Amino acid sequence: MPVIELSYSRLQKLIGKVSKKQISDSLPFLGLDIESEDKDLVRIEYSPNRPDYSTDYGIALGLQGLLGIKTGSVKLTIKKSKNYNIIVKPTVSKIRPFVTGIIAKNGKIDDKTIKQLMTMQEDLHFGIGRKRKKSSIGIHDLDKISFPLIYTTTTRNHKFIPLNSEKELSISEILSDTETGKDYGSVLGQSSQVPIIMDANEKTVSFPPIINAAITIVTTKTKNLFVEVTGINKDDAEDMLSVVATILQSAGFTLEHIQISGAKNSSPKLQEKKMIVDSSLINQTLGLNLNIAKIITSLKKSRLTALSKGKNIVCLIPAYRFDIFGPMDLVEEVALGYGIQNFEPTISPSQTIGQTNPVSLQLKSFDQTMIGLGFLEALNSSLSSKRVLYDMTNRNSKKIISVLDSKSQEHTILRDSILPGLLENLSRNIHESYPQKMFETGSIFNLDNPISEKTNLAVISAHKDANFTEIKSVLQTVLKIGFGIQIETQTAINSSFKNGHCANIIFNKNIIGIIGEIDSKIIDNYKIRVPVVGFEISLSDSVLKSI
Amino acid sequence: MSQVFHDIEKKIITSLKENPFQTPETLEKSTQLLPDQIRRGIEWLKLKNLAIVDESKSSTMSLGKNGLDSFEKGLPERRLLNLVKNGPRKLSDLQKELGFIFGPAMGLCRKNNWIETSSDEIILKTTPSILPGEKTLQQIGSGKLSKSELDTIDLTELLKRPDFIVEDIVKSKKISLTNSAKSIDISNISGAIDVEAKVPELFVARTHPLKDTIDEIREIFVTLGFSEILGNMTQSSFWNFDALFTPQDHPARELQDTFFLDGISAKKIGTAEQIRKVSDSHKKNWRYQWDINEARKMVLRTHTTCVTIKHLAENKPDEARIFSLGRVFRNEKVSYKHLVEFNQIEGIVVGKDANLRNLMGIQREFYKRIGITKIKFWPTFFPYTEPSLQTMVYNEKLGKWIELFGMGIFRPEVTKPLGITKPVLAWGGGIERIAMLKYDLDDVREFYNNNLGWLRSNTKCQ
Repeated sequence: MPVIELSYSRLQKLIGKVSKKQISDSLPFLGLDIESEDKDLVRIEYSPNRPDYSTDYGIALGLQGLLGIKTGSVKLTIKKSKNYNIIVKPTVSKIRPFVTGIIAKNGKIDDKTIKQLMTMQEDLHFGIGRKRKKSSIGIHDLDKISFPLIYTTTTRNHKFIPLNSEKELSISEILSDTETGKDYGSVLGQSSQVPIIMDANEKTVSFPPIINAAITIVTTKTKNLFVEVTGINKDDAEDMLSVVATILQSAGFTLEHIQISGAKNSSPKLQEKKMIVDSSLINQTLGLNLNIAKIITSLKKSRLTALSKGKNIVCLIPAYRFDIFGPMDLVEEVALGYGIQNFEPTISPSQTIGQTNPVSLQLKSFDQTMIGLGFLEALNSSLSSKRVLYDMTNRNSKKIISVLDSKSQEHTILRDSILPGLLENLSRNIHESYPQKMFETGSIFNLDNPISEKTNLAVISAHKDANFTEIKSVLQTVLKIGFGIQIETQTAINSSFKNGHCANIIFNKNIIGIIGEIDSKIIDNYKIRVPVVGFEISLSDSVLKSI
Repeated sequence: MSQVFHDIEKKIITSLKENPFQTPETLEKSTQLLPDQIRRGIEWLKLKNLAIVDESKSSTMSLGKNGLDSFEKGLPERRLLNLVKNGPRKLSDLQKELGFIFGPAMGLCRKNNWIETSSDEIILKTTPSILPGEKTLQQIGSGKLSKSELDTIDLTELLKRPDFIVEDIVKSKKISLTNSAKSIDISNISGAIDVEAKVPELFVARTHPLKDTIDEIREIFVTLGFSEILGNMTQSSFWNFDALFTPQDHPARELQDTFFLDGISAKKIGTAEQIRKVSDSHKKNWRYQWDINEARKMVLRTHTTCVTIKHLAENKPDEARIFSLGRVFRNEKVSYKHLVEFNQIEGIVVGKDANLRNLMGIQREFYKRIGITKIKFWPTFFPYTEPSLQTMVYNEKLGKWIELFGMGIFRPEVTKPLGITKPVLAWGGGIERIAMLKYDLDDVREFYNNNLGWLRSNTKCQ
């Protein structure tokens, strides 16, 4: 979840008459988690579905609603204008077909505002922009640009001075030498043509979705902004633009239209969306009995426009609230506006009879039998490593199931056996007193169209007198007392066990496991100083199957 | 408080009262106790200031090989003198009869002027009744003796001879009673034992503490009317993500959070209808090209919700309370806070009357049963529930609110394509977090370290 740092005093200015405590008490009920506080600063975690909360302007809008200072939806006022045009060339349609944008004038930009806008941009790029693949934003100093603009394509030899650079670089150089070029260049694939926004004087404005030109950089001296969003889907691009437009308007800018035309592009409308919700759906889902008026007040507190129409409610949803898919999302908006703290939990009588899964019950009895025999239960991860599963235990590693790009070297392969983990456990306990007797029941994994998961039991005993007879007695007893079954053992050769001290475990003429004295090489690998005996059997193939 | 004595102590005191200075060996004989029991008994009495142990070093003498021979047959010189007692004898005959002792015997007898030689005959001159060393030989021969008990000149004589006398340095303990012990009337003391004494530690065989917590939680769910369902840890992306309305290009699906299984895809992921309807929902709401191959990719489940949603899609119950419990996986760096593999519980309620307040009520009841009463609910976001809440519980030890289970009502975008018509309440969370509170652990990794020191000593009922 993304995190943003805010200042209480700045929030107070944006919201209106409100105390610091009122703000910190209300933030969680907007769905925002306070991570940490330090005097005036507060770090807040917000949900990726609400990019408008990536700035203090957006959070202020939400808090105004919740606290009843300003309710109802935030309406965008966009001045019509013929001064700003973008012409789209058909060549972009195969690469990044859509562009949209808006003009924002007469705002005051300080360092904090620039910081907020940059966090918002990053968040939009990562979340709904899907790491700039779906859509991306450029924010420019309007006064450095001459309209009309052209959104077109160019070759990789095209040169301009990109942001954070002092000299001209070619597109190829930007992609190979700059940080954003390296991070996002893959979005453009191998295409020889790349998207570009040029102004009327043939100056490069932006190379979407990678980088802006240096000349249009936004500083504290900037007064007027040009915002462009490009992408592979028109609706997504306009969604992204709606967030930026709403935030800029809240930050004190006046919005003006841009005319966009060519290659299936058109000017953005950023209109409210109408949605109808039945009051009985709201009350049924929430377990409340709210009248229409209360529902409408609640929706308004969630900064939506709501009107009654019989027992239905008509909602007008501003464009930046594209997280609202359908009526159920409006139910949640009612809940938030009503205040989660005002819900009294109830418990409805159960019409059902609870039951533990029979497999869980059997495994529990099994565990108890092992405890009765003096064994301690161990728990290891299913995700293990080549070292534990194969190298240290001298096992064959032909058909491994590995995970991609694990962040932990100890967790790369799904275990196909439990015993190696128990041996590893012994090696970490050589300073503890003996005898050491442990068992584990758990899942093991094998490739089988695509993967079979079975429950195994592994048992291990380590002490100076540990021997085959002891461990066979344990095996025989646990199966007899636990499940009333008899097994046999038949001489076997296995690389983990000492030759001549190892046997297959046979049940109903099938091999269901292996038992024996652990090979001294493995014991040496683990620097264990006493003999170790153990066994592992498949419970799924013997006892658990029979239910 | 009257003193209590172990049987061993009583026997030793009784014996020492009869015979005030004894060694452990004599005590063994008099008390019929084993050497180890005597050793422990003396140690206990010493600690209680009832016995005094004087340790001293002494040397005892015993006979060596040649000494033993002389003890049986007489000293070599005595044997020579005996042979010439009744008249002169030929030197060669005596040599034959006495063997290798002839030389030393001749030397001594000559030196002391007991015999004289004439050509090849040996003639007795005088026979002392007791020869030097003879008395000491007899004394040592009839029992080990300490140096102080023997005639020094006599002993020196014998010590000069090879293999005659063996000297052993012995540490000996002399045990006696202190004055306060002497006044103890053993006969008045009952058969009580020292119940205050320390005893050896035993290591109990037991279930794993985390498993105890899991069982406890399972039990609570069952008593609240929920039935347990099981499911695989390896799942297709379809059930782990697509069926739960998580778009294929969503950042959570990417490698950094999810463990994808290398090169493994599922052939069959669902019914044709399920696949079609789920993909339609994605295309319509998320506006992208849904790819079935992406849905086929096998992953280690990131939550148990894939198990519950699959169960609902297959059974479509009108009324149900079910739960699933098991391991889930996240590709994260392992730390004191994070594991790549942990346990999750997930419960769902299906029914026409299922609502948000019920969901909150069930949470409150669950927390009450694990001993948490101070809770509150905050709104939050999950891709597959709407509305969504999280529980905050107050932890007295930490003095702050911490986040526990997440919950919500399955979105229509999730239920509708799978043919589920009734509202579904769902909630769940990590079990290790609860177990950490229960066992007062700061490091979640301890649950999987299998550190015997911790497993053997941890308190079971907390």
